[in-house]
Amino acid sequence: MNEIDFRKRVYTDPAAPDQEILDSAASNPDLQNILNQTQKMDEDMRGIINTIEIPDGLKGKLLSIPEAEQATSNSSDTLSTLTEKPAANSEVFQYFAVAASLMLAIGVTFSLTYSPSFNAGPNAAEIAFGKEVINHLYHESTEIEAINSGLSLGSVSMPMITNAMTGVGTRLVSNSFITKTPVRFAKPCIIIPAYDSAHLMIEGSEGAISVFVINNSPVSIEYKINDERFNGIVVPMINGNMILVGEADEDLGLYKDLFSENIEWVI
Amino acid sequence: MSDIPVLHGTTKKQRYESLVAALYQDVFRYALWLCKNPPLAEDLVQETFLRAWRSLESLQNDKAAKAWLFTILRRENARLYERYRPELVDIEGQAIAESDENEPDFKMDRELLHNAINRLESEYREPLLLQVIGGFSGKEIAEILDLNNNTVMTRLFRARSKLKVEFGMDPEELNQ
Repeated sequence: MNEIDFRKRVYTDPAAPDQEILDSAASNPDLQNILNQTQKMDEDMRGIINTIEIPDGLKGKLLSIPEAEQATSNSSDTLSTLTEKPAANSEVFQYFAVAASLMLAIGVTFSLTYSPSFNAGPNAAEIAFGKEVINHLYHESTEIEAINSGLSLGSVSMPMITNAMTGVGTRLVSNSFITKTPVRFAKPCIIIPAYDSAHLMIEGSEGAISVFVINNSPVSIEYKINDERFNGIVVPMINGNMILVGEADEDLGLYKDLFSENIEWVI
Repeated sequence: MSDIPVLHGTTKKQRYESLVAALYQDVFRYALWLCKNPPLAEDLVQETFLRAWRSLESLQNDKAAKAWLFTILRRENARLYERYRPELVDIEGQAIAESDENEPDFKMDRELLHNAINRLESEYREPLLLQVIGGFSGKEIAEILDLNNNTVMTRLFRARSKLKVEFGMDPEELNQ
């Protein structure tokens, strides 16, 4: 083995020389010197790296992440419980109860008087549709996990997004939207037969958020959908509807407004 | 193959705790070399482990845990730079602890080597640090950096060659 080849092989991984390298070094002091120097340089590098101080308390912070996550997911439940169950004998509660009753009465009166069609909630078909949407997400779990774990960083280009949305008769209104809100995934899909849709994914604060835009809407009212993992919202639009689904703790309100303002129907 | 952490326990929390215990120091060290800013490196490490906790179920093979974490870290760092460019500080004085070794020559050599690594172009520095800090094989580095194996080997060769030229241990033409 000549010196150049020897160097190339040693420099690529000095910590694990194979037998041919060791034999060549043993029979040539110059090559042995190259091997020794390179291994010493790596040892020095490891020495430098190992003297980097690890911040005090970092390990504790990392170990507390599961509890912090649990606390975050419980906080809204706790807040809700505290609001719903104030001490029944407190003076504050009595005022609260009177005010709440008054607001409820006004609200019901307003709904009955001014709502064009009083609707108690989604019908059975709309509920079934919501379930289909969530089921669809489990077929895209690879992409969702890639975004949640940070392994999917690439942004889909505007032409690719347009291509996914064209079949549904929609588009995003401007390039500046994807600069501020990178789209990590975009493709046409069919959630239920006869309803072509575009499926986009962006990154929310809790992980991937799926945005479906569906032509020829099978629903007429806005309503929420969820299962043990995901929460979502179905929003009727001009020529169809938009559905946003994120992880259970994701606040979708902001994204609902964002996409409502930036999706344009072109049919 | 890099060192393989043993993820003890059967619950998600136990697996996560063994992941932290085995790898958080290496992850921080690599984070600091990547972003050159100690508070930012700490944030990056916390974000990396937060994402790891949230998607621990997707880690099917414990042998891949270290490469998986380093990949998340690199993505987080890139994501950070998508949003803003933080002020960089020289990590030499900030985070390299005084070693027990008091010999002036040793300290000088250490500083020279540290500075030489910092001067390497990132395309050479990154695979070198992944090999030295992470103990990754060429194949693992190729996967983490999304390069082919031959490119990684070439860059590792050039990285060490450049360092040795700086220290007068190699003729300059080797770098050409």
